[in-house]
Amino acid sequence: MAGLLGRYRGALLAVAVLLILSPVFGVVLAEKVGYHEPLDVAAEKLGLEEHPIVEWTPFSDYTVPGLPDTIGYIVAGAIGVAVILGIGLVAARLTKQ
Amino acid sequence: MHIPDGFLDPFWIMVTYAATIAYAVVAWSKIKGRLTQEQIISVSVLAASIFVAQMLNWPLPGGTSLHFVGGALAGILFGPWLGFYIMALVLAVQTLVFHDGGITALGANIFNMAVVDVVIGYYLYRAATRAISETRKARLTGAFLGGWLGIVLAGLAAGIEIGLSPSFPYGVEVSVPVMVTWHAVLGVIEGLITALVVDYLYQRHSPIVEAAAKVTVHATA
Repeated sequence: MAGLLGRYRGALLAVAVLLILSPVFGVVLAEKVGYHEPLDVAAEKLGLEEHPIVEWTPFSDYTVPGLPDTIGYIVAGAIGVAVILGIGLVAARLTKQ
Repeated sequence: MHIPDGFLDPFWIMVTYAATIAYAVVAWSKIKGRLTQEQIISVSVLAASIFVAQMLNWPLPGGTSLHFVGGALAGILFGPWLGFYIMALVLAVQTLVFHDGGITALGANIFNMAVVDVVIGYYLYRAATRAISETRKARLTGAFLGGWLGIVLAGLAAGIEIGLSPSFPYGVEVSVPVMVTWHAVLGVIEGLITALVVDYLYQRHSPIVEAAAKVTVHATA
């Protein structure tokens, strides 16, 4: 089944490269320049504040406990990719050929 | 554009969850039993790629930032039904594994990025390729317009949802111009990336394009 992924070697290689580069954009530059999406700007003007109900994951905001933010960002991304591809592989297995 | 917990009031939480679930049910009825293993693997690879692309936040001068969303890309390649599930998978993993977006706002986030962005991207792309015929120029034009307008209208939807949530009476008058204006500007980059990725995949005869071409659910859109 995992052999089916072999056809997508190019796309998966691109995913790996983007993952390795991701802390530059997701952590380093975000900390240096600031990170405010338009949604944050609109929410600030409305006086809306985030109220998390409960913290349900150890990987909140793409961090991994015990790892520096940059490495944790890559590991968290790899976990996300693995979860998505894993769901895809399970769904494919449950599908008749 | 991921709305966190605390931004939506209970009414909008229910409305957006209901709308998203209704769309999911219709989309499921359209794709159920019609996908091959190859196509499922293909959509999961695209979902993983969009997930990673969304991690690349681009801080911009002036204190704002953007990241690629990818809803239009999913819709252009796999249509409005399967495209929905690609984006819903990405958003569910972001929320449930990484707390990126609130659990109370998951219905709204999926509606904005997996329904609005996907559907707009799909139909604008189809309109362009029909109007100019199925040429490279038409694909680039349609994908750019779909990527751009998809993100603008997804931003509009998010602006309406958060603007109508607080007791503050004129929330929409504040949130909608902010969301639409910023996304109309930043959306140009989303449109460019969408166009370049679609063009690259077609020019390289990617197995993703091959799998997408065999998805018969486009016709029932």
